[in-house]
Amino acid sequence: MKKHLFILSLLLAAATQTGAEENQPHAAGIESDGYVWNAMYAEKLQALSARGDALRGEIAFEICQGCHRATALGRPDGSYPRLAGQHATVLIKQMTDVRAGRRDNKKMFPFIDKHAVTPQEIADIAVYLQALPVPPDNGKGDGNNLARGEEIYARDCIVCHGNKGQGDSARFYPRVSGQHYKYLLRESILIRNGDRRNANPDMVSTIKPYDDKDLQAVADYMSRFAP
Amino acid sequence: MSGCDFWGTNVKRHQITRACLFIGALFGATPGWSADAGELAGSICMACHGEGGNSVVPNFPKLSGQHATYLEKQLNEFLSGKRRNDVMAPILDSFSKQDVPALAAWYAAQKPTPGTVGDPGLLAAGKAIYEDGNVETGVPGCMGCHQPRAQGNARYPRLAGQHQAYTLQQMNDFKSGVRDNDKGKVMRAVAERMTEQEMQAVAEYMASLQ
Ligand code: HEC
Ligand code: HEC
Ligand code: HEC
Ligand code: HEC
Repeated sequence: MKKHLFILSLLLAAATQTGAEENQPHAAGIESDGYVWNAMYAEKLQALSARGDALRGEIAFEICQGCHRATALGRPDGSYPRLAGQHATVLIKQMTDVRAGRRDNKKMFPFIDKHAVTPQEIADIAVYLQALPVPPDNGKGDGNNLARGEEIYARDCIVCHGNKGQGDSARFYPRVSGQHYKYLLRESILIRNGDRRNANPDMVSTIKPYDDKDLQAVADYMSRFAP
Repeated sequence: MSGCDFWGTNVKRHQITRACLFIGALFGATPGWSADAGELAGSICMACHGEGGNSVVPNFPKLSGQHATYLEKQLNEFLSGKRRNDVMAPILDSFSKQDVPALAAWYAAQKPTPGTVGDPGLLAAGKAIYEDGNVETGVPGCMGCHQPRAQGNARYPRLAGQHQAYTLQQMNDFKSGVRDNDKGKVMRAVAERMTEQEMQAVAEYMASLQ
């Protein structure tokens, strides 16, 4: 009985969360015809061509620390990814895609939206994060299937994500080394299922054939690259 | 802006300004506040905000040791109507925009007294919210903006040692939108995701910090 009351009060609390929570906009993504990966809309171009300043970026990043943590190392449970050491180009693409509603992220949206962060600050944050150190204490998988992970990675992922998981800044391919296993796994599944709507179609067709067990193996393998 | 160059042109103030500039030159830095701000605080604001800004009434915020940037923003926004409160409203005739920097600097320079913990049983839960937030509901840890010991900085207010009742009121006002002057709308986004229990626990924890 008590338990039921407790659940009821939780439900009520959730139902009364009215307020003015801002909804993330919705832009057409990979699910739509004529999707162009990494289309260069105005704001993305503006942030990419702005000259970022790491000192200003450190200050602007304060607004993000409540989730991504002070050193941008995220959380090993994968709830919040590491941003430290990621390529500035990749970071700018992801931030502007979330603002435009091309990558869904309701939790983060109010803190990255226009009234919270300017396009210049996006550029500043990106250069600040790119230069942060990446210690090897990221979350890892269980280590049981690494041979299978290596096989998949070498065959299908290495072309874009690199032999050390370093990605490719000029092509907007993310670095995967030093990232938390659970985040890598979640994104692999989202991308495979077409649920990360700003994904790269070539990666989607590459990753399509793999089941969850394979993706666990390859995410575990990627999480073990020396950062 | 330094505390010595914002006064109006009446003669007495003008003289003080010059004395101030002189003292400032002597010490290489101008003090951020004047005797006038202290007088105003002592005659009018003290009734509610306490001696040296250390309010003893749970509904009236402590102002001592708060960052001057934040205090200036709040006072200017009370004056402009961007932040509204029935209790503060009648007070707004007693000072003007010109007085704001000095008042802010005066309160920022006062030493805060420690807060009092009401329910120690809530501290552990409060600390968890303060540092880690709530991953399920997307509440960010408060620490990210308000700093590890709730000491704040030039961009985010100090919350350490504040009265629970005041903190709780602000959280609920952000949540309902009654208070909507938060920079970047971020506090509304934070508060909207929180339950009453979480707010109580975190208010208790912040009161315990110095
Ligand atoms: C309320 C919590 C929260 C806040 C605050 C927040 N984020 Fe995020 N962020 C997330 C979550 C959750 C994800 C992962 C989304 C997913 O799983 O797809 C994420 C992902 C990201 C990514 C994508 C990383 C990648 O590897 O693709 C970037 C970049 C990012 N955040 C930057 C920021 C910046 C910059 C700020 C501050 C302006 C910020 N975030 C504030 C929750 C948050
Ligand atoms: C054609 C190039 C390409 C190939 C091949 C490719 N990827 Fe990707 N991958 C990308 C791009 C580009 C992104 C970023 C998506 C975006 O544009 O927002 C990405 C993102 C990811 C992410 C999320 C990283 C993050 O920080 O959010 C993971 C995990 C990932 N890829 C795993 C894999 C795996 C596993 C394979 C092999 C099975 C693979 N990728 C093959 C290009 C590729
Ligand atoms: C009659 C009681 C009363 C008097 C007198 C009073 N205040 Fe206030 N003050 C309040 C209350 C109540 C609040 C909280 C308002 C709210 O809930 O939004 C407040 C809030 C404030 C805040 C915002 C604090 C914060 O942490 O956001 C500042 C700054 C402030 N007062 C300064 C002053 C100054 C300066 C004076 C004197 C000129 C003064 N007050 C006189 C009752 C009073
Ligand atoms: C993204 C940054 C950010 C995070 C995270 C954040 N705050 Fe704030 N908070 C602010 C800003 C900015 C203000 C100042 C609002 C204004 O501009 O008037 C503020 C103001 C407040 C105030 C009002 C202070 C006063 O004296 O009236 C309280 C109370 C508060 N925050 C509590 C919290 C709590 C509790 C948490 C965690 C659950 C939290 N904040 C997380 C940015 C943040």
